[in-house]
Order: sequence, then C-alpha cells, then structure tokens
Amino acid sequence: MAHPSDAAQSAASDFVSLRFTGQAGEYFRIWIVNICLSIATLGIYSAWAKVRRKRYFYGNTLLGDSAFEYLADPKAILKGRIVVVGGFAIYSLVGRINPMAGLAMALVFLGVLPWLIVRASRFNAVNSAHRNVRFDFRAGYGEMARLLTLPIVLVPLTLGLLYPYYAYRKRRFFLEHSTYGTTPFAFDASAGAYYLVYLKSALMFVVFLAGSVVTLGVGALPFYIWFAAYRDGALARLTWKSTRLGGLRFDCGWKTGGLFKLYLVNSLGVIFSAGLLSPWAAVRTARYQLKRISLRPGGEIGAFLAAAQEQVGAVGDEASDLLGFDFGL
Amino acid sequence: MTQFRALYYDGKTSQQREVLVWAEPSGRLRVSGDGVDFGCRIAEVRPSPRVGNTARHLQFPDGSQCETGDNDAVDAVFAALPSQAPGRLIHSWESRYGYALFALALTAAALWAGITYGIPALAKQVAAVLPPSTERALGRDALAALDRVLLAPSKLPPARREKMRALFSHMVSGIEGADGYRLELRAGKRLGANALALPSGEIVVTDQLVELAEKDDELVAVLAHEIGHLRQRHGLRRLLQDSATVLLIAAVTGDLSSIASLASALPAILLQAKYSRDFESEADEFAFDYMKRHGIPPESLGAILLRMDKRRGAATDIPDYLSTHPATRERAERSRAAR
Repeated sequence: MAHPSDAAQSAASDFVSLRFTGQAGEYFRIWIVNICLSIATLGIYSAWAKVRRKRYFYGNTLLGDSAFEYLADPKAILKGRIVVVGGFAIYSLVGRINPMAGLAMALVFLGVLPWLIVRASRFNAVNSAHRNVRFDFRAGYGEMARLLTLPIVLVPLTLGLLYPYYAYRKRRFFLEHSTYGTTPFAFDASAGAYYLVYLKSALMFVVFLAGSVVTLGVGALPFYIWFAAYRDGALARLTWKSTRLGGLRFDCGWKTGGLFKLYLVNSLGVIFSAGLLSPWAAVRTARYQLKRISLRPGGEIGAFLAAAQEQVGAVGDEASDLLGFDFGL
Repeated sequence: MTQFRALYYDGKTSQQREVLVWAEPSGRLRVSGDGVDFGCRIAEVRPSPRVGNTARHLQFPDGSQCETGDNDAVDAVFAALPSQAPGRLIHSWESRYGYALFALALTAAALWAGITYGIPALAKQVAAVLPPSTERALGRDALAALDRVLLAPSKLPPARREKMRALFSHMVSGIEGADGYRLELRAGKRLGANALALPSGEIVVTDQLVELAEKDDELVAVLAHEIGHLRQRHGLRRLLQDSATVLLIAAVTGDLSSIASLASALPAILLQAKYSRDFESEADEFAFDYMKRHGIPPESLGAILLRMDKRRGAATDIPDYLSTHPATRERAERSRAAR
C-alpha cells in the first residue's frame, strides 16, 4: 500500500542521500566517558562502550527521517571478548612452553577461521536495523573457506597480482550473502574494473614515492594521504555504484580532493592534540562520507519484508575485532 | 500527560506510519494514528538507551517499534522503570563538559600511572616467569646481523684482548647468574667507541672503547653496566613493555580510522625512548653497586662516558624526551654521587 508519509516515496526517481547528524562535542563526551569507565572497570565496560559508540554512529545516520539502529547486546560482546582473550592467552602460553603444540593450535585456528568470519559478519548484520527490519548475512563454512584460500594461499603465491581479484571476490561474496530483511543485495561490478582501480592506485603510490624523494621526505605525509584519498574514493565509488538492493541502486560521490582535505586536517588535528581530537575526526569522516552516499529507490522503500530472527553469539565478532579483520559491508 | 510524535514500524515490513504515543494513567502506553491503535503496559516496552541526541526506539512485545527523537518525553514515560537507571546515569555523565573533563583528567592520570609504574612492573613480573631460553631465542641472530653491517673482527693486539677476557671472566665469576655471558671484541667501524649487551648474553665491546679507556676501572664500569642490562633482563622487558604500550595506545585510540592512527605512533616512540632511558639508569645503578662492592670508584663510569661523548662530538642537542639515553652529564654526576 502506498503511503503519503513515506518521504522517500514522494521523490521515487530521485537519489536520496544519507545524512549524518552527529556532533563532535557530543561524541567527545561519550568517547572520553567510554575510555574512562573502560579503564576503571579493567576493560569490562569496553563491551558497553563499543555498543554506545556504535549506537551513536548508527543512530546519527539517517535515511529519510529514519535512523539506523545498532542492537547488539553488550553482555554477548563481553562474553565474546572473554572467550577470545582467553583463547589468545592460552595460545600464547602453549606456544611458549611447547612450540609444536602452539603450531597445532595455530592450525586449529586456521580451521575455525572461516566459521569465525561467517559468525562475525552475521553478528554485525543481524544487529543492524533500519525501520525495524534487520540486515542478515548467511554463508556456509565451505564457501567461506574457498574464498579464504585466495588471501592465504593464492595472493601470496602470485606475489599480490591476484589481490584486486580477491578484493572483488570478497566484496561480491559479502554483498551476495547479505540481505535487508528478506531482500538480497546484488553486486554487478567486474573483476576488470577492480584491476583498473588498483592499477591507478598503484600509479598514485608511485607518485607518493617519487614525491617523498623529491621533497626529501617533507612531502611524504601529504603525498601518502593523496594516495590513500585516491584509493579510498575510487574503490568506494566503484563498490557503491555496483551495489543493488532489490530495485534500489546506490551512488557514491567521494572525491579525491575532498577526502584529501578531510584526511589531512584530521591527521594534523589528531597529531597536534595528542589524540584528543580523534572523536572530532571520526565525526568529520562520517559526515563527509555518509552525506555522499545516496540511493535511488526503484520501488517502494516501505515495501521491504522482514525475516524471522535468531540470535547469534559474538565470539566471531570479537575475534575479528582483536585480529583487525575488516569484512564489513 | 506526556505525549509525543513517533514513526511506527510493524516489524514485518519497512513501511512507516506516523503515530502519537502517550502514557495513560493506568500505566499503559497508547500508540495511535494512521491505521494503528493499540496499547500495552509500560513495563513491557523496551526503550533503547539514550545515547547523545540520537532517536530512541521503543520495542513492543509483538515485535513492532516506534522511533522518536523526543528523548525527554521518552525519559519521562520510562522514568519509573528501574532498568532505565544505569543508562540514565551514564547519559548524564556524557551530557556535561564538566564531567567529561573530569573523565579526561582521570583517564590521563590512569594512563600516566599505568605507563610509569604499571607497564614496567608488569613486564618485570612476566619476565621473571619466562625462562632464560626466551631471551636466547630473541637475540639468536642479532650478533651475526651486527657483524654483517656494523662490526668487523677486532684488531687489538692479542695480549690486550687476553687481558680484557681475563678481566671479564673475573667479573662474571663474581656475579650470580652471569656465568653464561660472553665477551665479544670487535672493531666498531661506524659505531665508534661503544659497548652493547645482546639479549642472548653476548656483550660487544669495540676496540675504540678499549683504547679510549685510561684505566681498567673504566672498562670494569662499562662491563658492569652492560652486565646490568643482561642481569635485569632489559632486552626481554623492553620487548614486553613496547608491546604493552602499543596495545594500550591501540585500546585508547581504538576507534581511530586509517590515517589518523598513524598519529598514535608518535606517543609510542616517545614512550619507548623513556623506557630505554629508565633501563640505562637501572644498568648504571647496577654498575655503581658492583663497583662499590669491589672497591672501584663509581665515578669511573662517568669519566669514560664523558670521554665517549667528547670523542663522538657529542650530539648533545637531542632533547632529553627523544633520547634513548639519559644526558651524560647527569649520569656522570650520579656516578660521583654514588660513592
């Protein structure tokens, strides 16, 4: 049923931008209280801190007049953290006492890695919602293990030449196994387009190296930031423009120049404030990036169906936090 | 009576409806408007916690939800629910700059205490538990690497070398736990007059340093300093402290994105320099103690350190906080005071 209160529907053919309404001062206070309480509770509060931080960023991200919602239970995150830290401590200890047993544990870890990544992605997805409809991610152990042979075996074997192909396959894998409610995401970029972006980024890296040498190292930071801005912008534009959700199409307007200014000012601010301006930098980044992601409703934005939910543990999510994976959407 | 506007989602589709929500005196919450009209007990509704000024989501038992930006009204409706108390307390801490500054001061104090006392004490404890084989594994290839790049075989006359070895073995035989340490004499090339202790138990002394010494006492002082590094397991403790520092900084600046995290390398470098200076002072203390017990004037250490500086043309303009060694003048003064 069409509904007049649907803001997005009245402009069905136009692109609607995301908005970010967070404020640096407000987030600074949340950030510092998070750190302070995490220290005071010897890390226990850090699970609640993570939820508050994510709730702040999700809740300030608006599509139309409706905010995103982060729903993870801090207690599940705390449990996940305890399991992961405990497992890591046992592994380090065993590895010192008996290197062979340590090696065996590393192999076991490699075996559960696909499962961990699936669980992590799932945990993140089902705890993200918009308009009371949750996202989801479902993938089998076998297909994830096959994807992981790329970065673990094939990319090193080809001296990195397969990396753009892996980046392409990874993005495609995660989008095609993700849903909003019952509606699956789709991805129609080509591997060739990824190779082109990485090739141009590699040229920018050469420019960075040359620029650093010519300016005797003084220009290294700005040249590096220019390279990073180019790479991030080109990748994000390619990825978002190739993403579909049902009839929805996405667009991304990140510009190299804009990202360069953003990253440069952020870095200088964070360096010269000894880290105190990092909440300000995080808010600025979210504002720039989200404002420039838009979507064009191909159908009715109010017509997505929700799916039946089940709960997912946070062990995978916490393991990926600790190990610094970045497999999010 | 508190009343507020909200967006209603039934939880089955993403369709949005505008509704009015209000609390009835009977303790029920009413949701009404746009084809929706129902009520349920306030105690059964789960409101999301208040974080900054983000919109609140009220979850109803049937899976439907209301979203509203009217935070004060939501707080008023659910004020009586005990489950809301902790969230309200945290939000009030996050709402005032005064509290934020207090949190900042507490955090700074905790970080300072952790860095100055916590991490070094912890590293000492952990190092005491780890077997000596850990260090041997750490420094196994260090000497070979140094030989390739910075050092050449010693060109001292054999008699001088023999005398150094005798001096060294006499020293280690008198120090508990030092019997595995070995003296390695080398020509220093670019390293100049210098001595270093490798975690694997090798103490490297350059020809230039041996020649620079005016008395054997000065060589004993330098060797005692290097043995101090090894006895106090500075190599392992430095590794532990540096890793802990990186972890701590990562924990504090955890939600930094890409480039900004580069900036966190700076405090790590400063801290590692500070720890290095602390280890130097600790090794100096060990040397003073050894010398006093063996009737050697402690100022011998200061004398040879000053001469090393002079020979090197002393890069004295490195600011103290960047330097890996305490200022030589200070070390010399302490060596005189140690007597």
